[in-house]
Amino acid sequence: MNAATLAASTRRAMPRWPGWQRLPREARDTLFLLAVIAWTVLPHASHLPAWSLALTALVLLWRGRLALANAALPGRWVLVVVLITAIGLTFWSYRTLLGKEPGVTLAVSLMALKTLELRARRDAFVVFFLGFFIILTHFLYSQSMLVAIAMLVSVWGLLTALVLAHMPVGQPSLAQAGGLAARTAMLGAPVMALLFLLFPRVGPLWGVPQDGISKTGLSNTMKLGSMTEVARDDAVAMRIRFDGPAPTPSQMYFRGPVLTHFDGFEWTQLGLTFAPASLPARLPALQTSGTPLGYEVTLEPLRLASVPLLEATTEVAAIDGYRLVARDDLQWLADKPILERLRFKASANTSFVLGPPRRFGELQDSLELPVGFNPRTVIWARAFRDARRGASATRLADALLQHIRSDGFSYTLAPGDYGRNAIDEFWLDRKEGFCEHFAAAFVVILRAAGVPARVVTGYQGTDLPPVDGYYVVRQSSAHAWAEFWQTGTGWVRADPTGAVSPDRIGRSNRLAPPPGFVAGTLDAMNPRLFAQLRNAWEAVNNRWNQWVLNYSRGQQLDVLKQIGFDTPSWEDLALLLIGTLSGLALAGAVWAWLDRHRIDPWVRQLERMKRALRTIGVAAAPHEAPRTLAMRVRGKLGSTGETLAALLDALEARRYGRAAARRPDPAMTRDFTAETRRLRALAPR
Amino acid sequence: MSSTLTAPWNVRARVRRWLTSRLPRTDNQLLTQGNVYILPTRAGWMFALTLIVLLLASVNYQLNLGYVLTFLLAGSGIVSMHITHGTLRGVTLHLRPVAPAFAGSPAVLDIVMSSPTSPRFGIGLRMLEAPASTLAWTNVPAGGQATAHVSYVPPLRGLHDVPTLSAETRFPLGLFRAWTVWRPSARLLVYPEVEADAPALPAARPVASGATQARRSEGGEIEGVRAYRRGDPLKLIAWKKAAQALETGAELVSRDTSTSARQELWLDWAACTRLDPEQRLSRLAAWTLAADRADADYGLRLPGVEIDPGDGDAQRVRCLEALALWRS
Repeated sequence: MNAATLAASTRRAMPRWPGWQRLPREARDTLFLLAVIAWTVLPHASHLPAWSLALTALVLLWRGRLALANAALPGRWVLVVVLITAIGLTFWSYRTLLGKEPGVTLAVSLMALKTLELRARRDAFVVFFLGFFIILTHFLYSQSMLVAIAMLVSVWGLLTALVLAHMPVGQPSLAQAGGLAARTAMLGAPVMALLFLLFPRVGPLWGVPQDGISKTGLSNTMKLGSMTEVARDDAVAMRIRFDGPAPTPSQMYFRGPVLTHFDGFEWTQLGLTFAPASLPARLPALQTSGTPLGYEVTLEPLRLASVPLLEATTEVAAIDGYRLVARDDLQWLADKPILERLRFKASANTSFVLGPPRRFGELQDSLELPVGFNPRTVIWARAFRDARRGASATRLADALLQHIRSDGFSYTLAPGDYGRNAIDEFWLDRKEGFCEHFAAAFVVILRAAGVPARVVTGYQGTDLPPVDGYYVVRQSSAHAWAEFWQTGTGWVRADPTGAVSPDRIGRSNRLAPPPGFVAGTLDAMNPRLFAQLRNAWEAVNNRWNQWVLNYSRGQQLDVLKQIGFDTPSWEDLALLLIGTLSGLALAGAVWAWLDRHRIDPWVRQLERMKRALRTIGVAAAPHEAPRTLAMRVRGKLGSTGETLAALLDALEARRYGRAAARRPDPAMTRDFTAETRRLRALAPR
Repeated sequence: MSSTLTAPWNVRARVRRWLTSRLPRTDNQLLTQGNVYILPTRAGWMFALTLIVLLLASVNYQLNLGYVLTFLLAGSGIVSMHITHGTLRGVTLHLRPVAPAFAGSPAVLDIVMSSPTSPRFGIGLRMLEAPASTLAWTNVPAGGQATAHVSYVPPLRGLHDVPTLSAETRFPLGLFRAWTVWRPSARLLVYPEVEADAPALPAARPVASGATQARRSEGGEIEGVRAYRRGDPLKLIAWKKAAQALETGAELVSRDTSTSARQELWLDWAACTRLDPEQRLSRLAAWTLAADRADADYGLRLPGVEIDPGDGDAQRVRCLEALALWRS
């Protein structure tokens, strides 16, 4: 096919573009709505399957072509076939139709297909409401400022399309409809602010599928390979603000679930994974030194009862709605999984010794290995111990770390799958893995060598530098390390990952992405300007995080405190909200009642003048215009009435004349009544 | 009409009619807080449902931006309620004088809407009883006026009240519908339905010379000409004038015998035998129009009413009015 025929066929396929201004009203409105839909769906491009993107683009383009050509919409059975195909493909992609990703995929497909069915007004409303729903789904993935701005544009676009649909006459411009939509939203903004501030934040009403906001994160169990997804999740796990100087990065261990039991495949906790009220207190035998460091935590909902806190946290302030207790393994457990964002104060000592066991058999549990798993590693470990007869646990651990450093181990997030004897494969054959492989192997070898040891999971490290004083801990900082028992001392932390990848521990683990083109250019031109810009951006972003994303019950109660509640509770919040809304509604009702009795000011002025005229004996019927009255006044009173007649003429000119004013002049009424009073006084009785 | 058709157990319709009948009649209606009503539309309820779903999702997934979105939409919805109501509030409705109409064919009501302040978008007018598809949509400019035409097919002849009208709007978001019910005080004169395919006019009879004399002295010209009509006998053609006319490309002309020998036509109730009274009135109305078109002198005889022969618009209106208002 040569260029000419290609061009010709393209021309046949796409109707000629007449120019935005010259489009028929209906075609223009439809194209605008399609553009808004495309804009709304676009941010999903990175997580939708390719077929869904292609289908959506195709359907939107097809609908646009139909609108331009003013052609008939396809029959219903075509839609049914495409819809069934889309559902089938969704199932094929995810193996399920439930959950976040399949739901979003289906919603996007439905919305695109619904545009092919815009027949009645009801269909249009379905598109709008689906659109609002899709906007919400974006927030499941990201709540950044950029997404918020993009979605604000979407809301505005959808409202504009709604307004356009309700301007049935003429050819209203998009700017006009957009202005009206923006005005509506802007007037609604105070209501939004009020509701946002005062609407009581409660926890989830029912269990949501695990793929909620933090689909990855810490858990009560560890399986080799399960943490790779966490490591790639950039979502925030918690934000910390220290009252004093911050601990060094290598001290930033946030202790979560302690995993002692190993069945060959999976590491699990011993005992309860949450702290019911009936659980007897068993505080850790902790010896601390130095002054405690106070800090404030804003914890994202981790869906765990185990709360990762800085090692070793000694005190946690009371949290509204939860009961937190320390366990003998230095884990802080809540009475139920934490499903909402919490902010609380705590204090910790970074230098501590976790002393003698509190529980009979604690050390025994930390020596058990499953029978029949990883035989080569067990043999290797015994040989390793026998070579160092009489060495202390600490010496053995140091030697192991040295072995890791020198024996060609490498740190990678993509070590591939390991089989049944995973530790054997990792330790002796492939030597590739990340924190959980190193920690698990380390613990297994120590146990095989007769040293009690266990795996500790949690977070290690924070974003550096802190933003506005907040240290951000991300899901990607999730970490697993080891603890072994040194007789005479207690539990000692050992981080075998640090041996192979010191960077992972020494500072923030993530590789910094190379600077983008703009950033690079800016940096080359003016490094200080770039640094300032970045600081400003980070400060704005932090405000956004603190005021919009982290605005939760704690902040709500702080707001109440600021406006004078001594001990605010969420009941106060609800009462305040209901009170404010009722007050506003009442004010509206009063205004409506007043408005009911409001008379047009022009009418009121003329009425008063007519009443005044009647007092001096001039007839004035309700329907008569000022000019008629002026003529009658001149006829009846002659030159004595000239002032009144002139005022009536002035009123006529002011209301209907070339330079008509918007409002009546109250001075005119005053002069008029004064003049009639004067005439009345003059009149012979 | 519907009032007579409503079954006694249709309480809703009866209540509505009772409410309507309490409204004062006026040709100039200012819409205020007191006579504009507002309720959510079906789409409005759907919107509320959507908001609940969004709120539940925000609560369950702890999405603060979800809260922002939900509350922004809720705020916009509340504001849209006020805007919808404000679109009608302050508008003045005025009914222009209504021209008489024939039963069974549409009468047009011209309604002037004026807004003293802001522009108003998407106000629809219709008869209260008519379906929503008959809405006549109008925008009213700021400080200006706009006219909407509502057509109404009066079913029966006579002098009727103008039907109750309703103005409504869903602007801007369609979540609420504000409406008002307006009973204009004007009355509409409805002529009888014109009989379709009515038989030819009855034969005219020559008149006494007195009438012709009078006409002569009025018109000054004894003989007139008119355009040739098919069937005119040859001797009636004014050949001299016809020759001139043909030269200039015009039509043939005939002598107008109606002026030379006046005849008069009586449209008589008694002439329409074997018809019931309304059908007779229909036929007489059709004849009136036919006679008026033929430019004849005609008179009308109804039981108890007799209109002397005459012609022109006034005669037509006089006859049609008599037909409209005739009672046995």
